[in-house]
Amino acid sequence: MNYFKHNNLLAVAIVLLAGALVTSGVGGMLFGADFWLVRLTLLGACPAVAGVLVILWMYHQNQSRKAAERYVEALCRLDPCELRSDDIPPLSSYNPWYAIADHVRQTVLNLSGQVQDLEHTCAASEIRIRRATDECLKIKKIFSELSEPIVVIDDYDELVLANNSADDLLQLDAADETENRVLAEVVRCQKLVELLKTASRRKTTGNRTDEIEITDRHGQSRWYRATAAKLSAAVDESDGDASAASGAVAVLRDIGDQKELQKCNAEFVSAVSHEMKTPLAGIKAYVELLADGDAEDEQTQEEFLGIISSQADRLQRLVDNMLNIARIEAGVVNVSKQTRSLNELLEEALHVVQPAAEAKQIELVEDLSPMYLGVLADRDMLLQAAINLLGNAVKYTPNGGKVTLRSRMVDQELRFEVQDTGVGLSEEDARRVFEKFYCVKKDKTMATGTGLGLPLAKHIVEDVHSGRLTVESTLGEGSIFAITLPNAGQINS
Amino acid sequence: MSKRILLCDDEIHILRAAEFKFKKAGYDVQIAGDGEEAWEAIEEQKPDILITDCQMPRLDGFALVQRVRENPDTEDLPVLMLTAKGYELSHEEMAEKWNVIAVVAKPFSPRELLKKVDEILVDETSAVAKPQAATPNP
Repeated sequence: MNYFKHNNLLAVAIVLLAGALVTSGVGGMLFGADFWLVRLTLLGACPAVAGVLVILWMYHQNQSRKAAERYVEALCRLDPCELRSDDIPPLSSYNPWYAIADHVRQTVLNLSGQVQDLEHTCAASEIRIRRATDECLKIKKIFSELSEPIVVIDDYDELVLANNSADDLLQLDAADETENRVLAEVVRCQKLVELLKTASRRKTTGNRTDEIEITDRHGQSRWYRATAAKLSAAVDESDGDASAASGAVAVLRDIGDQKELQKCNAEFVSAVSHEMKTPLAGIKAYVELLADGDAEDEQTQEEFLGIISSQADRLQRLVDNMLNIARIEAGVVNVSKQTRSLNELLEEALHVVQPAAEAKQIELVEDLSPMYLGVLADRDMLLQAAINLLGNAVKYTPNGGKVTLRSRMVDQELRFEVQDTGVGLSEEDARRVFEKFYCVKKDKTMATGTGLGLPLAKHIVEDVHSGRLTVESTLGEGSIFAITLPNAGQINS
Repeated sequence: MSKRILLCDDEIHILRAAEFKFKKAGYDVQIAGDGEEAWEAIEEQKPDILITDCQMPRLDGFALVQRVRENPDTEDLPVLMLTAKGYELSHEEMAEKWNVIAVVAKPFSPRELLKKVDEILVDETSAVAKPQAATPNP
């Protein structure tokens, strides 16, 4: 139908020529010679008109082809990714190339649709890939930055993964440089190597734990609790490959502080035991001597009883001090703080140590501030701290020496200090003298102590009264133990 | 001639108790307050047995025993350790390493200590005798 529509000019021309021929022939037979004028007209005009029509038809054909070519060219230039059906109006149906052009148009539209679908799929995939990459980087960063060293090996006992802490602790940098991944060759700690290998060869999952001492690159040894687990073969869902990630992973947890604490506790128990056994040994020995009748004269018996009594007192002091420290450390001590005169409290402490000082002809100098120094304190506890300091000063000052008790207001704080002309402390002793059971060895010949008097005083001053207890000392010249406390006015304000 | 005992401890009341018991039993007793004093006494007095504490100022018991064993003149001196760490020490190690004859734990019985010393000194070759366990409280 379209064919005829596009070729109607040609058809009209043919019809005209045919009509002219038929009309001139039939008219000649019917009308004879009279019809020559009409025949002449028909045979002359119709071919002329037909010729014009043919020319027009050819022109039209030419124009249609060009239009179709431009149309197809335009189609080809369009971006398939952004193409919509509205962007391509169909070619005029009068164009004889309409069918082909429309077919091309439909194909372009179809392809464009497919391209756009692929574009969307591709964009979605890219987003997923980016997310997965981000996740992977995040996990890798977390893994790298984890403070606990982690080491992963594969089925062949080769190191496949280690985080920064593991690199640092196990000195794996060399392995990175040489690309040697054999576990036993890159990790020096044999216990860790064995632990990982054993975990890797286990048939069942489950952790294996061991405590391992590792020496770092600085030569420092530290204890770690290593927990190793078999890595189950991860089954790849896409292809069912089950051999991808088997081996073992070990996580190392630093238990150095825990070990140190255990050691401290053991040392503490050992020190307590030693300090308790020493007076007990005296009591037991002298009781037995008395019971066996070894002390025959009364004077010896009294001497032995005196030793038993003094050792029992020593034991009691030790137990009291330990209990007081334990209560303060546990926060279960009853503290009854009231504002009171610091000077009165110090005078009381001085009175307590007076007999001991007199026995050694030690001059006790009272240099207390003339001002009223109000302190918010638990009387008994602060008195205990002052007595401990003064008692130590008297103990470790040779006969005929001097002990001065001073109180002052310094920078809106109360300060009292006990200065002696005693044996003094070395730098190390001064640093450690507040440790529990730390006894200055060279001074043991001068006096016996529980090793708890100064730690207790420090607890009382610093933990209970928010003050400071410090020591300045020169070996052979003497020491100054100073307590600084907030003044009661400051506390109230 | 009575046997000579050297007692070494930094606790004077322990020294006094042991000294009293041994003197009453007829021994000649010397006392020292630390390892250095004890070493001086060993060199000068040539005791027949050394009874020493472990934890002491200046020179502790272990260092003293080491010095004794390393010196050819004193290497055979019988040594007995009297210490509050009696139950923490490995007696076998002390015997094997330092040839310590016995370790007596504090608190101790002077009676038992005397008995042990009597046994050791009866046999002059006891310096190489087998180690004995710490004496527990009776």
